[in-house]
Amino acid sequence: MARRDYAQDRESIKTFLSEFCKCDDDGKKEFVYGSQLVKLAHREQVLITIDLDDLAEFNESLAEAVVDNCRRYTSIFSDVIAELLPSYKQQEVHAKDALDVYIEHRLMMESRTRNPMEQRDERNSFPSELMKRFEVGFKPLSTEKAHSIREVKAQHIGKLVTVRGIVTRCTEVKPMMVVATYTCDRCGSETYQPVNSLSFTPVHDCPSDDCRVNKAGGRLYLQTRGSKFVKFQEVKMQEHSDQVPVGHIPRSMTIMCRGEVTRMAQPGDHIVVSGVFLPLMRTGFAQMIQGLLSETFLQAHRIICINKNDEISDKDAELTPEELEELAQDDFYERLATSLAPEIYGHLDVKKALLLLLVGGVDKRPDGMKIRGNINICLMGDPGVAKSQLLGYISRLAVRSQYTTGRGSSGVGLTAAVMKDPLTGEMTLEGGALVLADQGVCCIDEFDKMADQDRTAIHEVMEQQTISIAKAGIMTTLNARVSILAAANPAFGRYNPRRTVEQNIQLPAALLSRFDLLWLIQDKPDRDNDLRLAKHITYVHSHSKQPPTRVKALDMNLMRRYINLCKRKNPTIPDELTDYIVGAYVELRREARNQKDMTFTSARNLLGILRLSTALARLRLSDSVEKDDVAEALRLLEMSKDSLNQIHEHQKGHVPNTSDRIFAIVRELAGSGKGVKIADIMDRCTTKGFKPDQVDKCIDDYEELNVWQVNMGRTKITFI
Amino acid sequence: MPSAMELPSTPDELAAQQADSAALKDLLKDPNRWHSIPLLNYTPLHKLKDQTLVRFRGMIQDMMDPEIYLERYEVKSTDGSKRVQEGKYRDCLKITAGEVIDYNADGNVHGERRTMFVVSVPGLNDWSKEHEKQCCPQIDLASLGQSPSLAKKRPVGGEQEAMEVDGASETTFKRPCLKEIQQDREPASASNASALGSEYLLNSPLPDRPSLACMVKVYEEFDTYQLNSLVDFVGFLSVDASLDAATLDIDDCENLSELQAANPSPFLIPRLHAFGVQVLPHANPLLDKSLRQPTEICEETTYPSQLAVHKDLRMLLKLCLFDDDLAAEYLLSHLISTVYSRSEMQSIGKFALNICNLPKDCEAYATKLYKILELLLPASHYLPMTLVTLNTAAFAPKKDYETNKLVSGVLQLAPHTHLVLDETCMQQGKLEANGVHAVQHLAHLINNQELKCDFQYYQIDYQANIPVLVLSEGRSMLPSDFVLPINADAKAVELVDESLKAAHHYLQPSRLHQFRKYLTTARTSGFSVSEEHTEMIQQDFVDMRKANVKSNADDLHGLLVLSRLLGIARGKDTLDKETWQLATEFEAKRRQRIQSLPKSSAQVRN
Repeated sequence: MARRDYAQDRESIKTFLSEFCKCDDDGKKEFVYGSQLVKLAHREQVLITIDLDDLAEFNESLAEAVVDNCRRYTSIFSDVIAELLPSYKQQEVHAKDALDVYIEHRLMMESRTRNPMEQRDERNSFPSELMKRFEVGFKPLSTEKAHSIREVKAQHIGKLVTVRGIVTRCTEVKPMMVVATYTCDRCGSETYQPVNSLSFTPVHDCPSDDCRVNKAGGRLYLQTRGSKFVKFQEVKMQEHSDQVPVGHIPRSMTIMCRGEVTRMAQPGDHIVVSGVFLPLMRTGFAQMIQGLLSETFLQAHRIICINKNDEISDKDAELTPEELEELAQDDFYERLATSLAPEIYGHLDVKKALLLLLVGGVDKRPDGMKIRGNINICLMGDPGVAKSQLLGYISRLAVRSQYTTGRGSSGVGLTAAVMKDPLTGEMTLEGGALVLADQGVCCIDEFDKMADQDRTAIHEVMEQQTISIAKAGIMTTLNARVSILAAANPAFGRYNPRRTVEQNIQLPAALLSRFDLLWLIQDKPDRDNDLRLAKHITYVHSHSKQPPTRVKALDMNLMRRYINLCKRKNPTIPDELTDYIVGAYVELRREARNQKDMTFTSARNLLGILRLSTALARLRLSDSVEKDDVAEALRLLEMSKDSLNQIHEHQKGHVPNTSDRIFAIVRELAGSGKGVKIADIMDRCTTKGFKPDQVDKCIDDYEELNVWQVNMGRTKITFI
Repeated sequence: MPSAMELPSTPDELAAQQADSAALKDLLKDPNRWHSIPLLNYTPLHKLKDQTLVRFRGMIQDMMDPEIYLERYEVKSTDGSKRVQEGKYRDCLKITAGEVIDYNADGNVHGERRTMFVVSVPGLNDWSKEHEKQCCPQIDLASLGQSPSLAKKRPVGGEQEAMEVDGASETTFKRPCLKEIQQDREPASASNASALGSEYLLNSPLPDRPSLACMVKVYEEFDTYQLNSLVDFVGFLSVDASLDAATLDIDDCENLSELQAANPSPFLIPRLHAFGVQVLPHANPLLDKSLRQPTEICEETTYPSQLAVHKDLRMLLKLCLFDDDLAAEYLLSHLISTVYSRSEMQSIGKFALNICNLPKDCEAYATKLYKILELLLPASHYLPMTLVTLNTAAFAPKKDYETNKLVSGVLQLAPHTHLVLDETCMQQGKLEANGVHAVQHLAHLINNQELKCDFQYYQIDYQANIPVLVLSEGRSMLPSDFVLPINADAKAVELVDESLKAAHHYLQPSRLHQFRKYLTTARTSGFSVSEEHTEMIQQDFVDMRKANVKSNADDLHGLLVLSRLLGIARGKDTLDKETWQLATEFEAKRRQRIQSLPKSSAQVRN
């Protein structure tokens, strides 16, 4: 490898800093670094961050060199900036702290007393570190992906790397000496000692000419005011759980923060750190017995907290084009749905609903009023129908989730509790599951067995998405923007179809209506289903793996990233769909009045339809809702109602076949008129959960019976 | 010619042989050579010299961060001459007085190594320990003749001589004289008391049955090691007093406890620089090829068939279980159960058994039963489920960020370590937060065969394979795959003490050997189901659903596991109709017994 010509690099860095510019929207040139240099010169800014993207644009090989040998280039950059600064000074700078005054005084004294011909000891001249009142940091290339700690190896030493993890410990911020200043008790001259490591040996004997020549033996004393300190903090970081391979222990790494990068993170924060990976030769213990070992650490250049700023996602989370292509196949909706809890057999519609819950609808804030976008779903059903497994799977899949049972195990319960700190006596708020799951999913098993106080609080959570607390003198409102996925057991052991939903799970209608979808999962013996289930299980037992299915289940990680991508879309509902939705809703209300329905239909259902359709549009990564989305939302709503109502039909002994039911719909649609458009029939029927081929079959059947006639173009039917 | 090669006796020799690593691996494959290396587990530390070849068997309890070390470095002596020194497989610099290391030499090579915190198998029963000890070559026997250079240097002699540290030129310190290491592993330099207790440093999963610990440094194939797996490492012992952080005065208080935890006294926790490893499939020393079996066991002439042993063992268990044949079948199935495959969220093959309805008037029956099981199983642990244990004991491992250690818990057990929970000693009372978590951890272990480790900011699941047996009077508060109410014969209840005595009498050493071998062989044997029988099973399930709506997928899982275990127990390797019918019959009987159990007021959800 050829050595780089540092002198030449210096020159190009100088040009880069002074000449690099970006064009803003008006076509004006903006000198990104030039303007920062002015601020630095006026001591209005301390940290200058060099974006390597800019540098790569200017000189690609230089940017690569910086990544490879970051420490050296940091000092080159800082030297160049120090050189450039005086020319950027536009006005006199007021001294800001003691060190400024100190430096000013020394400079003045020097210019007054100094004999230009006199040779001075190196030590007695000002070291550049003392004069520099700025810091240089690098922002890594945007193409650089965040590593996990275990990916950082010995070959990364000296390079700029980006690492993702969680902070487990940080020390207090302490001052660290950068330049030690001494005064001599005999001659009064000052001596400077730059400190580069964690410890230093103080100088005792005055090196000035006066003392040396006169053998005065002057002693040096450390001057705190004249020394330069920087803030210093040591942070311990650990891998995040998804970066740990199966059966391994998470790794940790030490990060050294200096100056402006201190106090950026606290224990528990998820961070992305860019910094230089360096070996650390400790003195003392290490030197004595473990001379063979060298510790490593990351000298931080930039720390970003991910949980504070969700916008900045690391490159890991982006989907590659291949993955997107794989996802973008026609059946992606079904594929995603079947990939949810693949070990649970069937229940496709429930899984589809859960998928929409994960994606969520769009929040709306018309005139200060807040309409939630989160979708709430309640699963009911007989014991042993894998409700809990579904919940468990969802809570594992969701990025932020809490899994709890209605009978919350801690005193905090679901909402929040006020705790008294035993040491300080201070009152603190401790969030329960609902607060902790803010902006995520809260899975509540045994919803029916919830404590009364939680039940009242959950009303507020489910519609207003907040929790108000007035306990022990603390009055506050906490955010709880959660989607609730609840599972409930029927009150009488098994679902009793003769009773209403409220009676069956003993929950008030006010609470139940807050769920966008209610599903009853029933376990009915059915020969075909049972046989398939048996086949599935025997296969798993004898082959130790899931049987190959028509659609291959997607990897959980991929799903997570795709859902994240979907969440960034904010689709809107176009005006032309309004009529369609309103029509569908009116139809729902009318039906609910006519049939003695065991469920209920309210304005909340309309919002539910909107939420489901926006979630569907999000899933397609589209910016606007289409008619199909609304149709699918209506279908899901219908299916969920069906799951509650279907038992009655069995009881009545009269099971209308599909064609009969479609015919009834067509009759209704026609009203007093004679002709009906087939497109209208299709629309209406699909919202009711019928498939197009079923509708076609019905039309054909009744045409054969001469009930109606279909025109040539197959666009309209006319009753005879 | 590999056969002519000898195992290296010093780290330097090994480093020189690295070029020929394939040959070295072959050398280690020879069981005789492997056997000849003394086991650190059973050899007192004072009998071993620094940097000798030893073995350590145990379970990986924790893994530490990688270390970057000087693999090769240049040493400058005072007269200006230079030499290159290998740094692999050792902790301390090897320099004579007056020499200094040239940290900036171009010839320096940095390498990476990992430290595994290995503890001897937790819950290893006395007989297994005894047997392993027998298998271990005695240090003062001629076994060391394998490494001639060493034998020459240190002629077999008194302990005092063996203590001599030769190579006085090296900067190694003389080791303080130690008493019997097994009894007292406290550092002799206890005056310099470390802030962390030795119990904390040893980190035994089962505090009342402390294990030995060893820090094993591995140099290759880092990613093949899994937490909680059983391994047998070969490498160089490193017990240099200067490795103890407690002996040093460091003013850097920031990480003092972490430094101490990472560098405990080597006499408490020796270091081992490994270059050979064997992953052990099970903890049973009788069937372990990595141990030299005493001759009398090898020469066992006629080995009775699986079927015969099975019959004897079933009789024995029946005797211990109040003459309940069904319970004996289930317990036997439980004893040979193992998680044989995992798919997604399920672990298939687990057989968590709850024997309930134990007669109330048999005092301490559970402990007595455990005494028998202890004799049969290589590793097991009896855990009384009292409020005190639940509220105070550490169950799942928890990360301590102060010391950067994974503090172990009772549930951190090696695969196939049987956990026997005695719920009969449970009293009414309040379960504290710790107790609630303990129950949750136990339930998670039983349901998923996964161990949740607490890393404070998140939890990570580690796969486990710990068969759990719950003994209770009523239905257990913990979940289980099979609940079996015992049908105690009134007469047998009276005679239980005599029966157990008889059982102990019956368990002669040779018979015990048979049983122990039988259980481990059965556990590790394979089993398959033919196509034709698969269809039969599927058909049966459909019929079952027709007959009883309540039967569900879990029942089919249970039936499949049970039929497999019943088949294996009878020495079969494929499923036949007979076994399947036996399984369905047993399940029907079991269900009937559950039906007849008195229903509790708050029937728990199944």
